[in-house]
Amino acid sequence: MTKPTLDDQAFKAELADLIPHLRAFARSLCGNATAADDLAQEAMLKAWKARESYQAGTNLKAWAFTILRNLFYSEKRRSWRRQQLDPEVAEATLVASDNTSSAIDLLALRNGLTVLPEDQREALVLVGAGGLSYEEAAEICDCAVGTIKSRVSRARKALMEILENNEARYSGDKAISASEAFDDIMRQADELSRDTPEHARN
Amino acid sequence: MMSDEAKPDVETERSRKVRQRRLGDQLRRIYEDVTTEPVPDEFLNLLEQADQSSNKK
Repeated sequence: MTKPTLDDQAFKAELADLIPHLRAFARSLCGNATAADDLAQEAMLKAWKARESYQAGTNLKAWAFTILRNLFYSEKRRSWRRQQLDPEVAEATLVASDNTSSAIDLLALRNGLTVLPEDQREALVLVGAGGLSYEEAAEICDCAVGTIKSRVSRARKALMEILENNEARYSGDKAISASEAFDDIMRQADELSRDTPEHARN
Repeated sequence: MMSDEAKPDVETERSRKVRQRRLGDQLRRIYEDVTTEPVPDEFLNLLEQADQSSNKK
């Protein structure tokens, strides 16, 4: 037992500082804010209980994210599973921004994130938003660094396509109103999540 | 000659990079929208409770 450990109070303070990140990562996995907070709380308590297995000097965020992610995947039957784009979140996205086109972009991106395969989404969120290195993300997701890199790049490509289509759709002289764009994106989200075969009969 | 042929590629590459950066900014924004929210009291209360009960042991 020569591993350096943090004392409990120091650990608690560092864990408390991480709560916003646990919530953000959980939100990206769950979609629904209430379910995400539930998951983040359980992960926080699990991390606290496991504090003796944390090695001081290593990345606490990556360590805690691993716990959160394992919890998420080990309890698939819980209500944590990501649902389609949450209409409340969608609406808040539009309301929060005074710039309609950037709000529509964000909304399309949120929508795009919900339709990405889970493994790609988590890789992109960890590396692209959460500030983790490829190596740390690989550890969190329990896969090779190369796998993370390819997931991130596929996710990025898919989302960039979504944003480009979005641009073509909602910009230009005849820019449609925010509420029309909202309805349209929600309809797309609905269709994608239902996994409809094709619009065979137009 | 070489540079003439390379030009469109450079343009495409640049516009791809701009888009990629914009995507990155937006992703971070979605994430930061959550990290900048005030943390619900419940979290710290739960952590405090867990700490208290482990002290009792």
